[in-house]
Amino acid sequence: MEVKSTNRDDFRKVYDANYTLLMQVVMHIVYNQEIAEDLVQEAFERFYVKNISFPTMDEAKYWLLRVSKNLALNHIRRNKREIQLVEKVKKLPGETVNFFDSSKAVIEEEERRNVREAVNSLPENLRSVIQLKEYSGLDYKAIGKVLGISETNVKVRVHRARKKLEEILAAEDRDVY
Amino acid sequence: MCIDLQMLSAYMDGELKEPYRTQVEEHLEHCAACRNLLEGMRALDKKLEKDTFSPDELNRNKDAIFKKLDSKFFSEGRKVSFFRRKIQMSVPAAITAAAAAVFIFVGGFALFGSNTKETNDILPSFAVNAESENVRLVSQGKTSLEDYTLEEILQYLDSKGYQVDISIKGLQPLE
Repeated sequence: MEVKSTNRDDFRKVYDANYTLLMQVVMHIVYNQEIAEDLVQEAFERFYVKNISFPTMDEAKYWLLRVSKNLALNHIRRNKREIQLVEKVKKLPGETVNFFDSSKAVIEEEERRNVREAVNSLPENLRSVIQLKEYSGLDYKAIGKVLGISETNVKVRVHRARKKLEEILAAEDRDVY
Repeated sequence: MCIDLQMLSAYMDGELKEPYRTQVEEHLEHCAACRNLLEGMRALDKKLEKDTFSPDELNRNKDAIFKKLDSKFFSEGRKVSFFRRKIQMSVPAAITAAAAAVFIFVGGFALFGSNTKETNDILPSFAVNAESENVRLVSQGKTSLEDYTLEEILQYLDSKGYQVDISIKGLQPLE
């Protein structure tokens, strides 16, 4: 089934099928809902303006994933300074941590932050592979198509990313206790 | 020998093909060390999974954004105009097309003569030189391979140090 990006029905179908996925992937790069929405919207605008025909829905999905991922990465690079400032402010001791509140939610939030920091400390080529693996539900072959690398290369990078993450997280545990 | 970790990682993702998959499964049955490694990987996977954003949160503005895009691109049943359409053309083709456009433009003056008054209206700066006697056809010179004889081509290749053997299809050389 051919998919034409300027055909209204096709556009709607592609939008409905991929919006959530694109948001998930972009959010893991920018961690800000409004910015992610802007970027995903821009990806769909480019999708229309480019006026491309895709042989399958999957090909359209890979194209959109590639474009939104790159838009998000560009955004991060361009706004590095501001983002670092925001991070600094976030790390200041705030009112959110109640010393006596050791409830499950707080621990989970802490864990989530640790994992996120570990993932973000990976080099870009490992990070995008492991994030697509974990958050997009794509298999190795599809990830390879999105990133323009071979399936074998995806396999190698997924493994390397896992190894590094384990090292980082294990080191953190040691630091705590 | 125990399983290579990269293989184990692919096995966990369901990406390992036969016969390796069965081999890994058999090995796991009697190797506690590898089972532990696999468990460790699964635990890490679970941790990463926890950082998934909920679809409800992500889709908060899905419809609003679609409306924006829909009215921008599809209201009044708009079609992509000719000028927005993506035109794909190779570089030589583009150069040829540009050259043809110039040729037709100048050639028009050369062949049909020019009317200075009209030209002056369209292109004032060009009008001065656009009189018929000022526009001459210039020879194109030898540009294509067709313009050379086989001997010339062979001579040229020879002068560049190439050794070229030429034979005619289907004909055996005389001994």
